Amino acid sequence: MTLILHQLQPYHWALAGVLIGVITLLLLWLGNQRLGISTGFENLCGLVLKTPYFRRSEITSSQAWRLPFLAGLVLGGFLSALTSGGWAPFWDLGMFDRVIGLGPAGKLAWMFAGGLLIGFGTRMAGGCTSGHGIFGIANLERASVESTLAFVTAGIVTSNLIYRVGAP
Amino acid sequence: MNTALFLVLGTAFGWVLSRSGATDYDVVQGMFLLTSFQLWGLMGAALVVTAPGLWWLKRHGRTASGAPLQVKPKPRHPGNVVGGILFGIGWSITGMCPGPILVNLGEGKLYALGALAGALLGAALFGMLYERFPAWLRLPALRIGTGDG
Repeated sequence: MTLILHQLQPYHWALAGVLIGVITLLLLWLGNQRLGISTGFENLCGLVLKTPYFRRSEITSSQAWRLPFLAGLVLGGFLSALTSGGWAPFWDLGMFDRVIGLGPAGKLAWMFAGGLLIGFGTRMAGGCTSGHGIFGIANLERASVESTLAFVTAGIVTSNLIYRVGAP
Repeated sequence: MNTALFLVLGTAFGWVLSRSGATDYDVVQGMFLLTSFQLWGLMGAALVVTAPGLWWLKRHGRTASGAPLQVKPKPRHPGNVVGGILFGIGWSITGMCPGPILVNLGEGKLYALGALAGALLGAALFGMLYERFPAWLRLPALRIGTGDG
């Protein structure tokens, strides 16, 4: 299976997983931070919203490390595209285009709806794939095991509803 | 100095997510449709490295610069599962979890703008409604929050 981005051949899963693990450990060993990306949405909200929830110390004190980390995520994607065929904005969405086939405005609306669930859901869950799925499970935390089972199961059910029931 | 460290680690993380398929709509659907092993294997391999490394670092108890290591476990509450279900539905719909939303923006995938706008609004709504959620969710006190990560 090639990637939508420049039809690249993806890294072997074992190599990619080891690299993710090493970066997670370096973040803790060098930076003394536990990996977790979804609080970054709150860090960003906290730049604008000044309600009590967004003035909690957990949010204000983690901005200094998480905002540069989030900027790095964008930069990493940019460099990945730039060095593999050049950077250019695009709308290609693989099997979504073949099966569901919405135009740019429809894609934005579709992604916005899903994004709402991601922002709301990860914050209610207290973490996402990185903070629960990788760090929390590796740290043998029960909350993380339960949350990861919940989001992975919901993803399996939803994708099957979309592609095997709704639009076969 | 530390800002540069976090920028570099974030860039490396984003690069690996981009090149592994974790930011790719088709690869994510392949994971959820159980037709591709790629991302299941990735998560498994990441855990195989992170779990013993973390155990060792905690036993060692110090960061590279000698500071006491801080690993605060997340609080456990019904929101872990309820929020997890909502997130899983959103992950399937968009093909993105939180990190890949940002990586996809960097790659030039314009539809990721919709996911980012939704995620920011979703997080904002969650924060503003925090003290109005039903009691059975047993969310921790506001100053503690649901968990940092």
